[in-house]
Amino acid sequence: MITGGKSYVSSPPAFSNDGKRLLVCTGNAVSIFSASTGLQIASLEGHTAAVTSVIVVPGSKILCYCWTASLDGTIRYWDFSVPELMKKVDVKLPVFSMVIPSLLGQPSLSNEKPTDLFAYLSIENTKEQNSVPKSLRGQIRKCNLTASRLIGGLILKETPQPEFIYVSSSGKFFGIRNKRKLHIWMVPAKDSGHLVAKKITLHHTKNLTVLAFHPTKRIVAAGDVTGRILVWRGFGYRLLSISDGLVSGRLVNKEEERPGVRGNDDAESCSTWHWHSVEVNVLSFSSDGAYLYSGGKEGVLVVWQLDTGKKKFLPRIGSPVLYYIDSPDPTLSSISCADNQIHILKMPSMEILKSISGIKLPNSLPGIYEGGGFAFDYSTGFVALRTENYSVQFYSLFDDCGIDEVQVCERNHQPADEITVLVTLVAISQDGSMMSTVEVKQPEEGIGGFVCLKFWALGSENKKFSLSTVIYEPHRDAGISSVAFHPTRHVAVTSSYGGDFKIWACNDEIQQKGRMIQNSGWACLAVGSYKKKPMTAATFSSDGSVLAVAAETVITLWDPKKNVLVAVIGETFSPIVTLSFAGKSDFLVSVSRGSKPQLSVWRMSKLSLCWSYKLHIEAVACTVDLLSFAVLAHLPESATRVESSEPKFHERDGVILVFNVMDPVPVATWSVRKAKGGGLAFLRGNPSSLEQNISDGNAPQEFVAYINGNHEYVLFDPYGNEANELSITRREGLVELEETGKFGYSSIYGELPELKLKRNQALSIQSAPSERPWETIFSGSSHNLPPLTRLCSAFLESLMEKRTAVVE
Amino acid sequence: MMEVPRQNSTFKPIKPKLRPKPRTPAQTPESKYWSSFKNHQISNLISSITSLTFSPTPPHPFAATHSTSLTLFSPQTLSPSSTISSFPDVVSCASFRCDGLLIAASDLSGLIQVFDVKTRTPLRKLRSHTRPVRYVQYPVHDKLHLVSGGDDALVKYWDVAAETPIVDFRGHKDYVRSGDFSPVSHEMCVTGSYDHTVKLWDVRVTDSKWVMEVNHGKPVEDVVFLPSGGLVATAGGNSVKIWDLIGGGKMIYSMESHTKTVTSICVGRVRKESGEEGREYRVFSVGLDGYMKVFDYGRAKVTHSMRFPAPLMSIGFSPDCGVRVIGSSNGVMYVGKRKTKGDNVESGIKSFWSLGQEEEKRVMRPSYFRYFHRGQGEKPKEGDYMVVRPKKVKLAEHDKLLKKFRHKEALVSVLGSKNPENVLAVMEELVARRKLLKCVENLDNEELGLLLSFLQKYTTVPRYSGLLMGLTKKVLEMRVEVIRGSEALEDQIRNLKRSVDEEIRIQQSLQEIQGIISPLLRIAGRR
Repeated sequence: MITGGKSYVSSPPAFSNDGKRLLVCTGNAVSIFSASTGLQIASLEGHTAAVTSVIVVPGSKILCYCWTASLDGTIRYWDFSVPELMKKVDVKLPVFSMVIPSLLGQPSLSNEKPTDLFAYLSIENTKEQNSVPKSLRGQIRKCNLTASRLIGGLILKETPQPEFIYVSSSGKFFGIRNKRKLHIWMVPAKDSGHLVAKKITLHHTKNLTVLAFHPTKRIVAAGDVTGRILVWRGFGYRLLSISDGLVSGRLVNKEEERPGVRGNDDAESCSTWHWHSVEVNVLSFSSDGAYLYSGGKEGVLVVWQLDTGKKKFLPRIGSPVLYYIDSPDPTLSSISCADNQIHILKMPSMEILKSISGIKLPNSLPGIYEGGGFAFDYSTGFVALRTENYSVQFYSLFDDCGIDEVQVCERNHQPADEITVLVTLVAISQDGSMMSTVEVKQPEEGIGGFVCLKFWALGSENKKFSLSTVIYEPHRDAGISSVAFHPTRHVAVTSSYGGDFKIWACNDEIQQKGRMIQNSGWACLAVGSYKKKPMTAATFSSDGSVLAVAAETVITLWDPKKNVLVAVIGETFSPIVTLSFAGKSDFLVSVSRGSKPQLSVWRMSKLSLCWSYKLHIEAVACTVDLLSFAVLAHLPESATRVESSEPKFHERDGVILVFNVMDPVPVATWSVRKAKGGGLAFLRGNPSSLEQNISDGNAPQEFVAYINGNHEYVLFDPYGNEANELSITRREGLVELEETGKFGYSSIYGELPELKLKRNQALSIQSAPSERPWETIFSGSSHNLPPLTRLCSAFLESLMEKRTAVVE
Repeated sequence: MMEVPRQNSTFKPIKPKLRPKPRTPAQTPESKYWSSFKNHQISNLISSITSLTFSPTPPHPFAATHSTSLTLFSPQTLSPSSTISSFPDVVSCASFRCDGLLIAASDLSGLIQVFDVKTRTPLRKLRSHTRPVRYVQYPVHDKLHLVSGGDDALVKYWDVAAETPIVDFRGHKDYVRSGDFSPVSHEMCVTGSYDHTVKLWDVRVTDSKWVMEVNHGKPVEDVVFLPSGGLVATAGGNSVKIWDLIGGGKMIYSMESHTKTVTSICVGRVRKESGEEGREYRVFSVGLDGYMKVFDYGRAKVTHSMRFPAPLMSIGFSPDCGVRVIGSSNGVMYVGKRKTKGDNVESGIKSFWSLGQEEEKRVMRPSYFRYFHRGQGEKPKEGDYMVVRPKKVKLAEHDKLLKKFRHKEALVSVLGSKNPENVLAVMEELVARRKLLKCVENLDNEELGLLLSFLQKYTTVPRYSGLLMGLTKKVLEMRVEVIRGSEALEDQIRNLKRSVDEEIRIQQSLQEIQGIISPLLRIAGRR
């Protein structure tokens, strides 16, 4: 059993202390990627539900410990260099967010006895059931990690939903947003069990989305749903004072004027910046506090100079920005995007060094184009997914990695815009050498709508699809309902809602008939229609001798060579949406949706219905050789409700059924989650990648691939027993971390020599004054530079003339 | 985790829709060859150009007969070098002697004169025809005789020195309009006449009986021997026919692609650089329909066709394949001139001589001081690793404005650029951004005028009408007040209405035609 396709952007990642590794929450595990190569090097597995927080324990570069929190109600402590589980804290409530402020604070002096480690958790209160509709389910709690227990009876705040906790990099403050308010707590200097942190609240008139703390000053920034960024300066001097004496002078000022501050909020001033047109998702201060990074749905990272409000941009990221993470290395940072990509940025120039990209996440499409978005390559085990930026991603299911991306439509993608151009259909021929895509441009008030059919051919050398033919409006202005390739020849069929279907042939097909054609491409070979009914689905039989086209409720059978109607069979209650021949048999499987859903199996030799079920089918997959097929069916509402009491069926809304065509009793069933928008396919077992992992050596011939609505997938052997399935583990595709390359200061100037103050004067020093480091030493942003004390010695040393040592 | 190459994050300029490529290439190599003749016009001649003839000796000057004069042209400059105008009537035909020193010309008074080409003095006057002479020619490789034919239906074989006809060939029943000597023998000639027949004569046979006769079926306008000597091409009516004389006067092919009378034909050679095609001959024909057709009689196929704006009367093709001259009825000569190979030959010689020097040029090595003096002009060698600067995407004005989301300015800028495909591409991009109607709403009077004139021009073009018809309606709906307020805009609306009406009329008549044809197709399909 192979699983994969996890989201990399469900929660913010974290950099390791040396800045070379990135810890990413991927479903139930934490995957560790190399920042320099973008390849996965390890993973931390053990949680039984999605991991929501990962916190790397700061310290020296070699320290590789992290805390993770998960929805399974546990907090775990790992050594991720090995990787090994060190400790497990069970809080029994799903943790949505965790911060450990004391880790970030100044390291406690060694002579002090080690204090307990406290974490602040955002948890969901599952004890209260949904009986009260407006119950406050989110709670902010405190947890003693050293003693492994939640501190009972201490609830800092209750919110309608569990909120993400933001913490300042100094570890002094943490806060949450709650509708139009910010709640900020100050962490007590000496934390202990029941010590309640002091809290202030800041108000705004719009719903807030995100907040960030300044690393050194008392500044907090927050973004709201309208795209405004509010910056409160000097918050909490009144209520969150460290010592009374320090603030007394400031108290006088506060009485005079507090521009922009609402009501009785505890802040000195509040200023507003507005650039984003829609809500702000990301706010983060640079480590020196001079800049503020913000990002949102537009897919643009904005850098604000904090003092002046001047802006710099990283445009065209291509997808909404979700998280911005600083690394301990000042030249590296990462942004996570909604299209399941993590970009690693080289910092002052904001140049994208590497991208870690997972499977594309489902995009929200307008109603009629939902579903059917997957095309599977039977032999290689690739799946082609439509993405939001008008391209098709090829993702290897066996290796759990992206292979290629084909830009279907050359257009600039603006993530914030309404979706008007979209790829609606993707089809791949059985041998994987041809692809066909359909894109639809939606009209603006009835003008400018447009359908475009494209054929792509696989390059023989680079194994990439290149555009072969573009056909504008293949069925006039009518939409295309399906595209199917002939199993052996270079022929495809498209069926349209406009009432006709067209058979397209690649030119080498036509050339066989003796015509000389220079330019290769696809051309229409034949057009057919049946009583002007909308054609809703089309497929070729496995030997290519029969073309079945569904004309709403009946199935018409054609001879594709002569383009002659052979027979009409039917009919069903509602329009057929999918047709497929089961293997090499003469059985045809049809699926209708709508108010009267139906799964029917027709026998071609008798031109009659064999058997049918009233099931809402999401996807059908047929084997290539055998007489069986699999369907992904939605469980009826009633069934889910009855079985929901069983924990096993919790959230499971679909079943995969494997049928033999002759027999209406399913051969095997599995229940699955998130079946809506899912896909199903049979794939050929890939011996090369699996052989070494199967102990007894007989690899299954075919796999069933199931992709759920969130694009997470599972591959399993439909015929094998459970034991065999488990023995097939994930391919060991992990790459060792390359420990080469320097970063930060050392990457520019080389390693600093350890300066010994009591140095022997007679020692000859070979550093040459001609290096002239002053030319380069101060270039770049200020936050990039090592501290002045370290720079200065190197600089002054380079200026000094070296006296040749006199050694007798 | 495989690394997926990062997609190009630069701004992509909008692209107009692709046009469908023709299934067959627009130009065959041969038609490309024929259209590689560079066109010139010589238009200061007086009247219809009755005949064109090339001198057989290089540099092949050519003579054009028009009105009562004969003009000689140099093929290099295409300028008249000399004019002979001592004719009593309209000159009908001219022919160079095989050494190119003398030229014989006939006129409608029945007189045939022989001139010295250099001095333009009439050397001989052959007077025997009683009616206009239409055809005169020196035999190939024969300097002493002439053959002529005229409206008196006689073909005469002359002794030039004595100014007397040796033989009178009687046999034609109508005007003799054309003729040709065999390229392989100076004793055989054909003549074509308005009595629909082409007769082959042998000058040694003096009993005035023709050797062979073929019937073209139409008054024969021109006849020409093909270079093998066994075939003859005849032009009459709107057809050109190829006859096999050795095979007993059998018709081989009839080319009927002219729509009006074919007035003149000639034989030309395709000059190719190499290969067996190097000596392929073609028949050129011109007609009153203004077309010049190139007919490949070997493959029985018209390989090239060219349209001229006037009825064409005569054609000539230089023996070195470099010049093609066509005379029209209104005194304009259309000269096609191919770039002569002379320059290339010269440069070829040069390169041959410079070859030795090139050998001496040494391969640069780091041991050689000039290696270090290589500058920016240094060309990369084959094995060199090139560090190429990433190509900058060129953005048009409207692309730059679209990049800045200044939609209305982008629309106005592209409307001013006069390329309808780009305008459509910008409009489609605006539709995809849901901004087109907003742009239309914000256009001021002048810009609206620009848009309306674009719509008026292109709304009825089928390729653009899908989007533009809907847009036109919306524009009229949204901006009706503004249009009412301005005289100029109302004018444009009137024009728009006119062009739409025109299109509707076309569509209606097309539908009528479809109505007529579709039952026929039905019947044809049933069979």
